[in-house]
Amino acid sequence: MKRLALPVLAVALALAAGGVSAAAPSKGPLCPDRSGWQKLANRVKAPVYCPAWLPDPLVGSIGNRWNNINSVSPDRSYLEGFVWQETGGGAAGGELHVNLRGYPGQTVIPTCTTVDTVKGKTRRGKVPCFADPHGTVRAPGITATMYTVNQDADQWHVLLAWRHAGGLYTLSEHVAAPLSFAKVVAYLKRELNALVLINPSA
Amino acid sequence: MRFTRRQVVVGAAAAGVLGAAGIYEAVDQLASSPQRPPAAAPGPEQHLLGGQRIVHDNGAEVIVPPLHHELVTATVDTGDLRDAQRRLEAALAGLDARYPATPAGLGVTVAWGLPYFRRYVPGPARRYLPRDRRAAKPALLDAIRFPSDPSGTILEQNDVAVLLRSDRLDHIADAEEALFHDTGFLRMTSVRKGFAGGGFDGGVGLPKQMAVAAGVPGADLIPETAELFMGFTSTLAANLGPDRIANLETLGLALIPDGYFRGGTHMHLSHITEDLEAWYLNFAYDERVDTTFHPGLKVKPGTQTVPQGPSEVATTADVVRDYRRLGTIGHSQSMQPSSRLQDDYLGEDGTLYKKGTAIPQRADFNTLDSPFFWSADPKRDGMSETPAAGVHFVVFNPTSDDFHRNRLAMDGVLPDGTKLAFEPHSRGQGFNAVLTTTHRQNFLVPPRRHRSFPLAERL
Repeated sequence: MKRLALPVLAVALALAAGGVSAAAPSKGPLCPDRSGWQKLANRVKAPVYCPAWLPDPLVGSIGNRWNNINSVSPDRSYLEGFVWQETGGGAAGGELHVNLRGYPGQTVIPTCTTVDTVKGKTRRGKVPCFADPHGTVRAPGITATMYTVNQDADQWHVLLAWRHAGGLYTLSEHVAAPLSFAKVVAYLKRELNALVLINPSA
Repeated sequence: MRFTRRQVVVGAAAAGVLGAAGIYEAVDQLASSPQRPPAAAPGPEQHLLGGQRIVHDNGAEVIVPPLHHELVTATVDTGDLRDAQRRLEAALAGLDARYPATPAGLGVTVAWGLPYFRRYVPGPARRYLPRDRRAAKPALLDAIRFPSDPSGTILEQNDVAVLLRSDRLDHIADAEEALFHDTGFLRMTSVRKGFAGGGFDGGVGLPKQMAVAAGVPGADLIPETAELFMGFTSTLAANLGPDRIANLETLGLALIPDGYFRGGTHMHLSHITEDLEAWYLNFAYDERVDTTFHPGLKVKPGTQTVPQGPSEVATTADVVRDYRRLGTIGHSQSMQPSSRLQDDYLGEDGTLYKKGTAIPQRADFNTLDSPFFWSADPKRDGMSETPAAGVHFVVFNPTSDDFHRNRLAMDGVLPDGTKLAFEPHSRGQGFNAVLTTTHRQNFLVPPRRHRSFPLAERL
């Protein structure tokens, strides 16, 4: 079994100084791209969550070099992916990959399709997109359930899912070098605490 | 507790081959020796342990395995086989006198490979080695690569393998010293170490504690009380063959010339790495149950001990039906048509073995070896300093062919010849998809009376 091949930009730059917004003002975390996320909220006609903190070098600005997926489906569900990938062995290589999703108007866990091809014959199955709950994680205004078995773009990720305003939202991160499972969980907790809720303005 | 790399490698590199348990010394810090019942005098079989403790979990009897396991492979290095035979037997008898053949004492099983029989006792081997009647082949065959094995799986050529099992690390260390250092005619090729259980009396089991301490990827996801890294209880009494069923003679599978190897059995040894991250991050609990046991099995979420008694045994038709319907087979389900008795059988030992009774007797154990604790040929064996989750798989079957039938079934090749198409590491194989076998070899386990250099006296 291979890890999911990610549709990413393979970026050779390991360390970028690019404007990390980790320093949260006393009023709370600051979205690094308020206008971009506002446009998204307006487009999906529902609240969205802007990540004020992502692990360096990632920055949560829609359309920046790390934003490998910026997708909105006809049902208004969206996926914003941020990835840094460095090929090479040992300490030189690794990947940081964070996904933020929203499913406006839907609170049930979506269903994903598995595909297994044997000798040219393809067999498809239906599975929950998020499974194996492992307790809850809390942040201001959010009580998220942690799922460890996830599908599609969240495969091999640890995922936090919560409901808000009649919608389902997720934040996930890939368990891949240089991160261990424990480190990913620690990052997710920090990322969850640094989410900025942006409501649609139109 | 978390091991540093230095602590991990100290046993293998700095302290020599034997006597240093390295990372496995932590087993005694993390688990105490379980209370064990007293044992009767050892029988003619080397592979049976007395004094096994049984606990009950989820309505099933579970055998508490010895905490510490070690397997040493070696080649024979002597010009005087009969002298070596006497001296090894004396060393083994000394261990027998010091320790009962129980987990509280010491289990010693000496198994011999085809290279020994071919090189040292070829004439008597041709005459006395048992034959498998069903397969019309020798009972001891060279190991083979199975369909899901990588092409790089090493088929080993050791002369001898010694399995040591005990709750006490010092008992195992004593046996190492007596059998390998003091004798001098067994040249070690590998040392393989590991552990099992530890969580039967509540608290966190050894697999999780040891894997987390070693920093193995996916370790945090192992259930707290799991007996094995993969999360399910393995040593259910119903899953393991009863006492003498795996003997060469019990089920009438083997023809045993002159009764020489009567009371003996066959042992398969392999090392398998387990991708715990793939198992726990890609397979939801339901899917882990489906592919470990059988598709659609309903158990309470988080259950680790899943009873599979004789009445719940799958048939070939069950396996085929699930495959056609779902594209998935269960690990244990797929093997049951070959690993469980298909009808009642009156054994050669006078015991009536009921339909559905398990035949193989497993003695597998968790390991953090990568792939071995020590190797005489580190390059060939692919030795790494980084700990890895795996299993040293040890199983006793009546013959090599009997083991091969079970293992082929895991890959969808069923005993009646039906072949279920799977790509290697296909998701439908679930359990198998996250396992990689690095080494394999088959051995013959003589009865206790011939455990030392079998057939040397017949030269």
